[in-house]
Amino acid sequence: MRMQNPVVSDSVATNSCREGRPLIWTRGLFLAVVSTSLMLSPVLTRGQAADKPQMAASAVLQAPVQLVVGGQSIKNNSKGTLSVVGSSLQLEADGKKFSVEASSILDVTTNKDTRQDVTGAGHLAAEAIPYGGSRVISLFSHQIDVLTVEFRDANDAYHGAVFAMAEGKAASFRKQLVALGAKTTAPPEPAPDKK
Amino acid sequence: MKHHSRTVNSVALPIVLSCALFLMAGPLMGQQSSSESKSPKRVSASSIQIEAPDPGHVPLPPEFRIAIYENLILQIEKTGKFQHVYRSGDKDAANVPDLVTLRTTAQAFTEGSQKEREVTTVKGATSLTVNVRITDHAGQSIVDRDIKGKVVLSGENLDATYDFSKKVAKIIRETF
Repeated sequence: MRMQNPVVSDSVATNSCREGRPLIWTRGLFLAVVSTSLMLSPVLTRGQAADKPQMAASAVLQAPVQLVVGGQSIKNNSKGTLSVVGSSLQLEADGKKFSVEASSILDVTTNKDTRQDVTGAGHLAAEAIPYGGSRVISLFSHQIDVLTVEFRDANDAYHGAVFAMAEGKAASFRKQLVALGAKTTAPPEPAPDKK
Repeated sequence: MKHHSRTVNSVALPIVLSCALFLMAGPLMGQQSSSESKSPKRVSASSIQIEAPDPGHVPLPPEFRIAIYENLILQIEKTGKFQHVYRSGDKDAANVPDLVTLRTTAQAFTEGSQKEREVTTVKGATSLTVNVRITDHAGQSIVDRDIKGKVVLSGENLDATYDFSKKVAKIIRETF
């Protein structure tokens, strides 16, 4: 009994060592691939980031927005794409286009607001939750940017439009429109702190 | 027994008849009185010009100012009381002889929170009070009232401007 156990255990140990070698090699190779990709990824990302400013400079500024009010032929609360093309602000929604020349803008301002995460049919369905359960859903909301544009048309008539968009997007629209000749009463944004 | 039932009939019948007459005549009288009180005299005008809202001394955010203006134009157009609804500054409005002008001045504003409203159901209401003044071509005042717009339970803050403009449209329907 004493002799049997060590022999058996030895043979098992040697066998496992021999069979394990390819496994160790595979694991090693896998780790090498993973670590190399992890090491290279920041370099790749930096390279892409370095390319981005050039792309941004050449591409038009655009963002998905919700027209809150003032889209003339476009219905209020329509979702579309707002962009700065050439020297004008354009909204495309419901297959219709609405455009304002930057030079005709009397004031462009930005503000912050919040929107519920669950809206429309989902919100209606939530109302059916018993014991005021829908109130819990109301807790889930997100910050949004509000862009307000005031302008005059060719007949000198005064118009206004309000757009809701993702947080942090409105400032770039305002900046670009002001650069294109739009007027603003809002004070210029402070320069970001350099740490 | 017969005598008793005859007596009951003779008393009950006039009462039932008078009640029926009163019920029939009631709504007619009500209609007359309400129409007399609501519209003493209607003003006629073919066009209206909506001036840009004046924030006054109230810190009214620009999006609320614009939402008031644009919603007012939409709701007044919907009333169908005017052939033209002119925007502020529209050159074409200068040639209209019976033009009336609507001016709005903010009186009070409280910005609430949609989340607070929907979670507590008692707090976070957004409300605004705006003075609405409609004048005729000679500058005579036709309407001069403070109107309140609010969003109390559910809805976005800007919905208060929609509520306000609906109330103004109702006044327009009653006046013109």
